[in-house]
Amino acid sequence: MQPITVAIADTDWGRRTEFEHSLQGEQGIRMLTNSTTTDGNALNERRLTPRGNISAVEEVVARTRRLNPRILLAYLNQCTDAGCAMLVSLRRECPETLVVLLADESAHEDQVMLALAKGARGCVNPKADPTHFSRAAQMIDRGEAWVPRKMLGKIMDEVMQFCHANAEATLDPAC
Amino acid sequence: MQRPHLILLASSSQEVLELWARGVHSFAQVSRTSGLAELRNELLRTKPQMLLLDHQLPELGGTRGVSALIKLSPETTIIILSGPLSDETEWELFKTGVRGCCPRDIEPQQLASVVQAVQKGELWIRRTLTRRLLNELWAIALEKNNIKQAASDLLSNLTRREHEIAKLIGNGESNKQIAQRLDITERTVKAHLTEIFRKLDVRDRLKLALLVTGSKSSDGQPRTDASGRTPIVS
Repeated sequence: MQPITVAIADTDWGRRTEFEHSLQGEQGIRMLTNSTTTDGNALNERRLTPRGNISAVEEVVARTRRLNPRILLAYLNQCTDAGCAMLVSLRRECPETLVVLLADESAHEDQVMLALAKGARGCVNPKADPTHFSRAAQMIDRGEAWVPRKMLGKIMDEVMQFCHANAEATLDPAC
Repeated sequence: MQRPHLILLASSSQEVLELWARGVHSFAQVSRTSGLAELRNELLRTKPQMLLLDHQLPELGGTRGVSALIKLSPETTIIILSGPLSDETEWELFKTGVRGCCPRDIEPQQLASVVQAVQKGELWIRRTLTRRLLNELWAIALEKNNIKQAASDLLSNLTRREHEIAKLIGNGESNKQIAQRLDITERTVKAHLTEIFRKLDVRDRLKLALLVTGSKSSDGQPRTDASGRTPIVS
């Protein structure tokens, strides 16, 4: 079975490198870093410094397009327009790449929900055991969501609420 | 853990009812029904916290029947127990309002885990269906964005003064308050409102308020900020 290609989106390079190292060699996944591409050619650490003329969003999208991972692990820092724009751009520009949020216990549920609504396919704790990532990557690669059941309950609530509101609006001729 | 007051079990099979009761009796008061008419009566009479429902209950009528039961007692959480169901049927059940689906012959101990998880607000859904759930959430976000855009486009037809008044209506202010705030008469406010209603094709201030609040960008729509340096994902 082909390993699932995984890359990490994080502007904190130290943290990203450390995380890449911790996942390297994990069964079933293959880490893609700045020095590799999907076909294994060395690129010798391209773009180690951010370019001033493009935004962080564009930079992450460009890097993702270049590395072309199946799974992109992305840190959930704070709920901003730029963050949402990034998820929407990634879904549009890199449709084959599935974004998985890295969010620890401190992450607010609403933020995670918002990110999922913008296209993220799952959510894992960055402090989790590396085997956990491997399992999550396999499930997400198969098209499943990797989300806690409680969060699934909230998503269902949102879906139901919207369906009801829509049904009511349809019944009301003034809407 | 919150103790349920009552869990109602509904199946025409006594054997199945016995199996389920073994799973939940230690943490809930259990009541059993074996027919649809009896189930309806019990739902209305006892308003149980949870219903464990056999999808093969005679005359239930599939998803429509389940939907009718939910209408009878909206506060009752329903878990469906069944033989193998297609993804489509199971998904329809969840969209009806069911909070869990599991095998009819589930082990009692496992059933207890399912019930307790659902009580905590979790959704007991097959992992293979989670893709649909996320796709639905994504589609809703898109739809909301479209609604917001449409509301915004409509509001752009207003004059500056009308827009100002519409915003104040959106904040819940009365005509009197608006008049005082803008230093105009109430009659002028009413005249502006008539014109706003006409332009936006709404009948009352509540609809207008909904339109105004619907046009506000408050849920992090995909707009890139100037710096682009503080994203949700970095």
